Amino acid sequence: MRVAPRQLVVFLGRRLLYSAVVLLGVLVLVFALVQVVPGDPIRLALGTRYTEEAYQALLAASGLDRPLVEQFFSYLGHALTGDLGVSFRSGEPVTALLLQRLPATLSLAVVGLVIALVISIPAGIWSALHEGRLSDAIIRVTSQFGVSVPDFWMGMLLILLFSTTWVLLPSSGYVALSDDGAQWARRVLLPGLTVGLVAGAIMTRYIRSAVLEVASMSYVRTARSKGLSSGIVVRRHILRNALVPVLTIAGIQFATILGGVIVVEVVFAWPGLGRLVYESVAARDYSMIQGSVLLIAAMFLLVNLIVDVLYAVVDPRIRLS
Amino acid sequence: MTEPRDEIVADEHGAGVAPTDEAARMTPFRLLASNPLTVVSALVLAVVVLLAIAAPWVAPYGINAVDVANALQPPSASHWFGTDDLGRDVFSRVIVAARVSLQVAVVSVTFALLVGVLIGVVSGYVGGLLDVVLMRVVDVMFAFPVLLLALAIVAILQPGMATTMLAIGIVYTPIFARVARASTLSVRHEPYVQVSRTMGTPTTTILRTHVLPNISGPLIVQTSLSLAFAILSEAALSFLGLGIQPPAPSWGGMLFSAQGFLGQAWWMSVFPGVAIFVTVLAFNLLGDGLRDVLDPKQRTLIESRSRR
Amino acid sequence: MKRRTFVSGVLLMATGAVAAGCSTGEGVDLDGESTSGGTDGATTGAVLRVAIGGEPDQLDPNKTSAYFSFQVLENVFDTLVAPDEKLEMQPALAETWETSEDQLTWTFHLREGVTWHDGSALTSADVVYTYNRIIDEELSNAWKFGSVTGIEAPDELTVVITVGAPTPSLLSSLGGFKGLAIVQEANVTSGEIGTKPIGTGPYSVTEYASGDQITLAANPDYWGGAPALGGIEYRFISEPSTALAALRSGEIDWTDVVPPQQVAELQDDDSLVVGITPSSDYWYLALNQKREAWSDVRVRQAIAYAIDRDAIVQAVSYGTAAANQLAIPQDSFWYTEYSRYSTDLTTAQELLDEAGFTGGTLDMLATSDYPETVTAAQIIASNLEPLGITVEIRQPDFSTWLDEQNSGNFDMLMMGWLGNIDPDDFYYAQHHSAGGSNAQGYANAEVDELLDAARTELDKDARKELYASAATTIADECSYIYLYNPSVIQTWSPDLEGYEARADRAIRFATATLAG
Repeated sequence: MRVAPRQLVVFLGRRLLYSAVVLLGVLVLVFALVQVVPGDPIRLALGTRYTEEAYQALLAASGLDRPLVEQFFSYLGHALTGDLGVSFRSGEPVTALLLQRLPATLSLAVVGLVIALVISIPAGIWSALHEGRLSDAIIRVTSQFGVSVPDFWMGMLLILLFSTTWVLLPSSGYVALSDDGAQWARRVLLPGLTVGLVAGAIMTRYIRSAVLEVASMSYVRTARSKGLSSGIVVRRHILRNALVPVLTIAGIQFATILGGVIVVEVVFAWPGLGRLVYESVAARDYSMIQGSVLLIAAMFLLVNLIVDVLYAVVDPRIRLS
Repeated sequence: MTEPRDEIVADEHGAGVAPTDEAARMTPFRLLASNPLTVVSALVLAVVVLLAIAAPWVAPYGINAVDVANALQPPSASHWFGTDDLGRDVFSRVIVAARVSLQVAVVSVTFALLVGVLIGVVSGYVGGLLDVVLMRVVDVMFAFPVLLLALAIVAILQPGMATTMLAIGIVYTPIFARVARASTLSVRHEPYVQVSRTMGTPTTTILRTHVLPNISGPLIVQTSLSLAFAILSEAALSFLGLGIQPPAPSWGGMLFSAQGFLGQAWWMSVFPGVAIFVTVLAFNLLGDGLRDVLDPKQRTLIESRSRR
Repeated sequence: MKRRTFVSGVLLMATGAVAAGCSTGEGVDLDGESTSGGTDGATTGAVLRVAIGGEPDQLDPNKTSAYFSFQVLENVFDTLVAPDEKLEMQPALAETWETSEDQLTWTFHLREGVTWHDGSALTSADVVYTYNRIIDEELSNAWKFGSVTGIEAPDELTVVITVGAPTPSLLSSLGGFKGLAIVQEANVTSGEIGTKPIGTGPYSVTEYASGDQITLAANPDYWGGAPALGGIEYRFISEPSTALAALRSGEIDWTDVVPPQQVAELQDDDSLVVGITPSSDYWYLALNQKREAWSDVRVRQAIAYAIDRDAIVQAVSYGTAAANQLAIPQDSFWYTEYSRYSTDLTTAQELLDEAGFTGGTLDMLATSDYPETVTAAQIIASNLEPLGITVEIRQPDFSTWLDEQNSGNFDMLMMGWLGNIDPDDFYYAQHHSAGGSNAQGYANAEVDELLDAARTELDKDARKELYASAATTIADECSYIYLYNPSVIQTWSPDLEGYEARADRAIRFATATLAG
């Protein structure tokens, strides 16, 4: 199954180029955000702190007084070197504020993903191997429940149950893992569960179809026809081959979670990127909105890129398509 | 094929080619009717839609009938779902909110459907540079998580019902574009289409008579699933205070105000949440049922991008 | 004309209140409640964890107008004088003061040995610098120096303030709240004051992580005695259910993120202490008189008659607030009886008919940062429906709200003022035609005269008369439609002692102790 490295290099090159093109498009869109705001974004952002000096200072710092093309290339150049300007509201560098929020969101996304995997791998495999039976039907419908439930409502119900009624777990607040591991775990559990249950439901559906797909492959049918016991077929052929799509799904879900935790972070007062986006939108801090949207979109692209590359390395067929 | 990668899935097997197995031998309607989940979902949706349409006449109380003396009453014979913090009837608000939610969902998905199909069909049929450019634009939009993109749009415009519809409509346009393009691509190479082309049939006629009817299966499925996610998105936006504005009732907005009364008035958070859940679930199950019948090959396109 | 926005303590967050103040922390030890203090080793004391409803916009006391900032800064900075629990001015950084016979010269003698958190000594030059900064940069509190003609420092420990006219309210202007806190010039010029402020107060800021928390450490050299606590951790939790759950599970020790609807339930809970104190804050509606429709006094009065004040008070406060048709609460010396309006749709309709008003939409500016405005707006929407007025509610965040107010982009708004002490705080800036916070555009020469006269009137009873007559006219003409005086509601763990909720919402932890 090994394929010549040259092919891999060509694939990687194309994939990288593709990501770069999309990233550029994302940058254009994010840049355009401030341009299409009706009214003067700096005036809006300054609000009551408006003075002529503050206005001129922020105008100069933001570069919004320069020609559009120049502004774009300047924004592009700075963004590529990690400089996203200063927050219209607080005057602090956007990049620093984003980095401050990143660990909380990463904690939540990782814990959410782990919970999702713990739920979805056994459920998805079981469901696929018992296709058409009652247990399969139950798992399918239950996972559909998870897909249909609003995550913030689930968060509220978890708070109602575990924080208000039974007072078992804290309903908010974030402690850095490096500060206090036990506190970190206690606090990340409820929001992590909220994210994990929803993601787990989605992943269960993918994993089920991934396993079904592999099970219908000709080599599996051949193995079965050779009289191999079904336990061996499942272990040796189905599960091993389903591993690749499962990893892919996990990667995609991780990216989705990173970009999707806005409401959950708001419900749990979680000081992450999602809440930062929400706060920035509410405060019309456009440079901050630009920065956080760009970061989340870039992370989304990066994870997708990594997943695709890994996929190609593991499964050469992809490269030929 | 199981990869949830949108690009791969869409490019390789998005087509809604006529199924060749036994499904082809039964009418789609009988197939649908043979799945109890689909039937139940359709019935639930029918009830939700009827309630939404009839809401102004069915609602026992006015949605803004403030009655502070009767605030936070638990469910009873006079207030089936209890009352909220202003003494308004939760049942009345839930069913009127159904109207608002469905209205937003239908308008925004219709927008996404029309614009998305136009882009997708043109892109797939014309091909070439136009296709490349349009699809890269779609890729760029796919790089934004759904709610993030919607929030960015709300940040530009004033929050409100029209903005909510527009934001959700834009957010779900790319998915329709992809589905339509993939389906168009596969139809374009069918012999009967090729023949039509060589015979000099006008492009619009080919599109109307051959392409559109043949891509409708996947689009119907996509529409059902998108309605589900549009309702979730609207609820999330309203929950954040950036969607439907009070005093107009919305499920998400009701849940937002319920947060302050979690331990005291469970009915304020449970009923609107159940309403969202049941409606979204019904659309999802219906979409699943439709997919099994209309588009058996396409599995996971929407799901990979559905949430949030 | 430069428009200033919020004046004294500015706006509050949801709720809060005081319960019979005692500990005032700041040196004037009125009640012997300070359980420990004075010694080093205080820095090893327990750390108090508190939850406030939102994040400070910045930590420069002279510039911020957010209550969230003052919740922190109250414990970091000092003013020349400071209000005790009865809101009477007491010595703080100034130990004594005297006025000249003609009431035009005030001489303040600073406390000896006060140091900044960086160890340098506080001098009269710092006081002069701070006040000049506020005046010269036209910061939002510059109006408090309206009558001041000179600020001088004849020696290191003396500050002399001269005024153009007798100013009975000068002490409460200088010490009413921490917006007038004395800041350090070096800290300002380095630009660090917004995030790393240096004060003279009982605690110093050690860490400020945006979106997460602010940490204060006890100041062992505090002039009022070293705090017994080792420090304070502020967290930002806007969700009441979340904050209360955190309090019950022992993650935090104090919060003011308390929805009034839960007060009854909290009072039954032995594991919590609830502090409820009537405040001098007030909430009001204002109609934009610069817009044609609302410039007719009859239309404004019609709305005042149409709204159901009792329902609003009940819905936003669950009986913890007191309905009031003027600004100053009942237990104040300056209180005036007034009860012209009652919910009366017939009168309202008649007034509208007289004015020839035929209905329309009303753009109501509420803000999501103060949920009571959104709640009340919904009641008002239902109240005005029968008059053919469709209320459209907007609920932007508070800074956007301020901007919209200042741009005059609203038909009606609801907001509150807090931390008012002197009657001048209640009426002048809001209703004088040249007032800095008269966003509604009210102008009445008679009221202007009354307010101007009251400013310099030294006889307390005569002064009260002037304010009573001004306030009555203001309410008659609906410059503001006054709604109610809220209570300060806070709740904390019984382990926290030496703390009481104060009527001015100042949150002082200088003399607090934490058991366990």
